[in-house]
Amino acid sequence: MKLRRPDRGTAQESVVALIDVVFFLLIFFMLVGRLDATAPFAVMPPRGTTGTDLPAGGVTVSVAPDGALALDGAPLSRTALEAGITKRLAAAPDLLVRLNADRDTDLGRILPLIARLEALGTRDVVIIVTPQVP
Amino acid sequence: MASSLRLRRPARPQRMISVISMIDVMMILLFFFMVTSSYLNLDMVPAVQSTADAPPEATSATAPPAQTLLIRISATGQPVMAGRSLTPAALDQLLKDHLAQDPLTSVIVLPSGGARLQALVGLMDQITNAGIVRVKVVRLEAAP
Repeated sequence: MKLRRPDRGTAQESVVALIDVVFFLLIFFMLVGRLDATAPFAVMPPRGTTGTDLPAGGVTVSVAPDGALALDGAPLSRTALEAGITKRLAAAPDLLVRLNADRDTDLGRILPLIARLEALGTRDVVIIVTPQVP
Repeated sequence: MASSLRLRRPARPQRMISVISMIDVMMILLFFFMVTSSYLNLDMVPAVQSTADAPPEATSATAPPAQTLLIRISATGQPVMAGRSLTPAALDQLLKDHLAQDPLTSVIVLPSGGARLQALVGLMDQITNAGIVRVKVVRLEAAP
């Protein structure tokens, strides 16, 4: 006489808890992170104690310590950067330019660039800083 | 005697909606946001302001002209005033003294081209923390 052992059904593991965890993580990273265009080179902004909240929108001009430039994450020459800013100013005259310059960049590179941006017609230029508790 | 015949429709088994594809999509979104987002806390300091947002200038013709201080930043990042290098504490005291004499005191910062951006932001922080709101940064330009 042969006794057949009944097939045990494979236990269905609940994926509801997994969905909950993944969903919470997704919401967390969406709220905490910023989807900014990152510079193609390492930039460490200066530390500042009196900075205010960085507004959203606008374009980001990155400046490396060696003077390399980037517009919204794309490396550009000075001439191409000015052409890009001029084109965007034509579309949006109230364009906000965020200057993401490394803290070790010489002011001999930064100040002429800011003056040039102002000469092109930019009305709002802000320097990005990392907050430092005084 | 009439008898009624009732036919009971067999209950259809409920179809299970597969959630595997939803988990896949959520995982892809999760990795996307984890990898592409930057988590550095950032603030800003205005460098060029439209005239609507700028602090008002003293325009009264009868009011005495506001006191203006010129602070240079040397190539090493040291603040210099009237040819004298100032320590942070000495600069702070000096700014507070001038502000006590004239609340409309304004400051003009003239940085050396060789100074670092951190030196300028640090000095602007110190000036703002002292209570001075009129700050201008100027630079020397070569004659054409």
